[in-house]
Amino acid sequence: MSEETAKAAEKSFDYDRVETLLQEFLHKKGVMVPILQKIQAEFGYLPRPAMEYVAKRLRIPVSKVFGVATFYAQFHLHPRGKNIVRVCRGTACHVRGVSKVAEKMQEILGVGVGQTTEDMNFTYEEVACIGACGLAPVMMINDQTYGKLTPEKLKGILKNY
Amino acid sequence: MQPVTITLNGREVSGHPEMTILELARESGITIPTICNEPHLTSIGSCRLCLVENEQNGALLASCVTPIVPGMVINTESPRVMEHRRMIVKLMLASHPDSCLVCDKGNRCQLHQIASDLGIGLLELQRIPQTAAIEEVNPFIERDMSKCILCAKCVRACQELVVEGALDYFQRGFIARPATLNNSPLENSECTFCGVCVALCPTGSLMEKKRVYQGTTKNLVNTTCPYCGCGCSISLEVKDNYIVAARPGKVDTENEGTLCVKGSYGFDFIHSPDRLKKPLVKVNGAFQETSWEKALEETAEALNLIKEQYGPDSLAVLGAVKCTNEENYLLQKFARTVLGTNNIDNSSRLYNPATRLGLGTSIGFPGTTNCLEALEQSEVIVAIGTDPAASAPRVNYAIKRAVKLRGAKLILIDPRRTKLSSFAHLWLRPKVGTDLVLLNSMSRLIIDESLLDKEFVTRKTDNFDALPGALEKYSLEYAETLTGIKKEEIHSAARLYALADQAAIIYGTGITQHPGGTASVKALFNLALLTGNIWRNGGGIYALQRDNNGQGACDMGALPDFLPGYQSTEDLQAKKKFEEHWGVSLPANPGLTALEIMEQIKAGKIKGLYIVGENPVLSFPRSDFVTEALSSLDFLAVQDLFLTETARLAGVVLPAASFAEKEGTFTNFEGKTGRIRKAVAPAGECLPDWEIILRLANKMERPLPFSTIQQVMEEIEELVPLYEGYLDSEGKYQNEWGFWKRRSHRWHSLKGFPRFSTAEYTPPEKKINEDYPLTLLTEAVLYHFGTGTRSSRAWRLQQFSPRIFIRINEADAKKLGLSPLDKVRIISPVAELTAAVSITGALPEGIASLPASFPEAPATRLFDINLDTETKTPSLKACNVRIERIDDHE
Repeated sequence: MSEETAKAAEKSFDYDRVETLLQEFLHKKGVMVPILQKIQAEFGYLPRPAMEYVAKRLRIPVSKVFGVATFYAQFHLHPRGKNIVRVCRGTACHVRGVSKVAEKMQEILGVGVGQTTEDMNFTYEEVACIGACGLAPVMMINDQTYGKLTPEKLKGILKNY
Repeated sequence: MQPVTITLNGREVSGHPEMTILELARESGITIPTICNEPHLTSIGSCRLCLVENEQNGALLASCVTPIVPGMVINTESPRVMEHRRMIVKLMLASHPDSCLVCDKGNRCQLHQIASDLGIGLLELQRIPQTAAIEEVNPFIERDMSKCILCAKCVRACQELVVEGALDYFQRGFIARPATLNNSPLENSECTFCGVCVALCPTGSLMEKKRVYQGTTKNLVNTTCPYCGCGCSISLEVKDNYIVAARPGKVDTENEGTLCVKGSYGFDFIHSPDRLKKPLVKVNGAFQETSWEKALEETAEALNLIKEQYGPDSLAVLGAVKCTNEENYLLQKFARTVLGTNNIDNSSRLYNPATRLGLGTSIGFPGTTNCLEALEQSEVIVAIGTDPAASAPRVNYAIKRAVKLRGAKLILIDPRRTKLSSFAHLWLRPKVGTDLVLLNSMSRLIIDESLLDKEFVTRKTDNFDALPGALEKYSLEYAETLTGIKKEEIHSAARLYALADQAAIIYGTGITQHPGGTASVKALFNLALLTGNIWRNGGGIYALQRDNNGQGACDMGALPDFLPGYQSTEDLQAKKKFEEHWGVSLPANPGLTALEIMEQIKAGKIKGLYIVGENPVLSFPRSDFVTEALSSLDFLAVQDLFLTETARLAGVVLPAASFAEKEGTFTNFEGKTGRIRKAVAPAGECLPDWEIILRLANKMERPLPFSTIQQVMEEIEELVPLYEGYLDSEGKYQNEWGFWKRRSHRWHSLKGFPRFSTAEYTPPEKKINEDYPLTLLTEAVLYHFGTGTRSSRAWRLQQFSPRIFIRINEADAKKLGLSPLDKVRIISPVAELTAAVSITGALPEGIASLPASFPEAPATRLFDINLDTETKTPSLKACNVRIERIDDHE
């Protein structure tokens, strides 16, 4: 997200949605992770204004909220797409030429690792191993596994989403 | 509690039950290497270097977080411990860059020291240095995270000492680093550049900017910061007669290892090329360099001539809130015995007399009643009329620590949103100038609801009977109408304050610089007295001072109405004591205060003025009037570090040594003295102020009987009851002398107990003039100080904050069609200034604020001379202005 769109998002941010989520946690201890989980469930990621708001309401430094959010792999600081594409970069897939598949996928989607397409339809991620080495090279889109991939097959698969 | 005994390296040692193994080892003289441990930070056991072996079960324990248990058998240097310790250091080194030879941390690097102590030698590990871009945009701190070893000292310092919370860990595992929100550069974060993290960083990850290749400084000089009234101890690193860096004084000193940006990075005005190097005399309107001999001769002659022609009271002296106690003492002695006049004042006149009078008449001593350590014990803290984040950072840290770490509740009374607002339990925003109504209504409510400490009030105070009647009209409804604060809020503030077992009050120039500030101080005192909070450990009243020696200058009698130690010039007994000791008769005429001196110069009554380290052209209201007055003098001499706006008007300018070039003491706002020590030789031919005064007295043929600063101190000790015992038996300074002394000392003619005094609110006479619809508040800024004479010459401060901004509310900006950075003209009935606009949500509508510390646009100029009748303090807090945009083509 460019700086301007980020700023615009901040201006129009609906703090009431965060406030509602916070209600059950106020005046309790050790609630940071559950709060962040709730926010992520609500927004799909952790918007920066939401983290700043949490810091303000809990009266803790915002760098602390940020520290927790970046510590856990489960939290995302950028909006995620409707569909999550996970391409396996494990050894077996590597040997069977996943590099070309990954390259092609990024080219089709027009995004890099961890990024989301403009239309918010796909987020592209790479993972260490999916555990389906027999199907290498392999990827998952949401919960669906696709094996024996070639760069040519990708467009057809993506059409379903 | 029973001491706990353990076996440490084969020897039985005992400690108290809450000690850690590391603490006990240190106490027993056993060294265990650590990196992440710091006595005043929470121990987190992250570096693992302090591993020790429990010989009973073979466990390796991090000694900094393991408490001692009876019967433990610990070995701090067993072969296993040493093997592990070496491996940990090797692992640290394996991910550390190879840049030791060019790293400016040099021999001060703890990692380097420990590696060499343990004899690490060549690494057999594969090196995986971390890479990181060096962050060096801001002028204060350079961050090179490739050298970070994750000790988290910076994170803890930021969260536990200065409670800013700009830093925390970012990410995890190998890539984890201390970082700001979003890992953005420091200048985009909450960071205030206090430099505490830099001082604690064990490696070269955090360094002062521009320290490049200066090598290791071995010479450390412990001294006292020259800026605000907190008087923090600082340690100057000196190399080749040059001050390389300043860092917080030792942890056991007052400021507990903290400083602010001015203390850490504001010292280099000392080496500014603008420093005066030689005495100057004005010949035909232009300054010429001259010798000390000639300059002093001319000064002495001129002063003697005026004295002969027009009498001693045609001379006056403005003393120095930036000079040492000893120099102020000498200066008033010079005025009273050499010149023969009581016309001596100092620029704490601009903010301090309300405290002196308000507290003096009520309690018997002129200032803060408690120390900052005690503030952290308070349950409730009332902060009114002050933004300590800018004006007294150490107080700010103490308040935040009390709130965050000890659960104190803060009642903040300020129309502006300040950095403390987010720490406040209650934040009251009174209309400007109505504090007194608020305070009186709180007092009334405390009496009405019987929340007062009856026993204390009946047994330990005087004059309570006068109070209820005087408070009659200050009902909650009345207060709500005048202050604009909801009565429920006033009610809960009053209850919160009254019901706390220990509650403290802090106030600053937002109280004392308003007309009627004395009454507000009395009202604050009434509150403290009603609730019995005045002597309690976590109670008391903290009167903040702006300048580092504002307190000391007054203590030393650089005042028209007081001899040293607040002994009145009208107290014949005191006068006699000084006359006998000094062997002269003291002037009988009452002296004039600072602004009265200006008026009398204008009236032609005062012909000669001697100014030491003050800059009235910028610091006094109506600079046009002051400039005119000073120019009309027969003779003006100025002693200063720089050719200030005032010095330019002088006939003779005498170059003075800075705080780092002389010896002496400062007294901070708590009343504690801090020692200053000579770190470098004076620039050029500069002389310490005390030496200049002595030489001048000699030239005037009325020599003062001193030749060393030590002799001055001895006389102060003898003659100033407040400073009795400030030297120890060997004649050395004692650090905390004054504080306890002050509490037991009464200077005012106060008989019996602390007194309640009534404080009546008088509404401002003038109606708001439609032509000047905005109320302008002057405020302190963190990055500059005073009139900006020194801070604008500290290059880092100047580079970071080079321009003056007027802050105005969003709604007002909209009305005036202003956008950020627009240039505007600020017009008051007496003067105008230009500044750039900064739009903020921090101010209520109708209020603008302007920092006072920019020499190019001194906010004081906008004020008319409007003296408080009691204290002769000019009103310098709020005035009415209008704002006009300056279009680009103009």
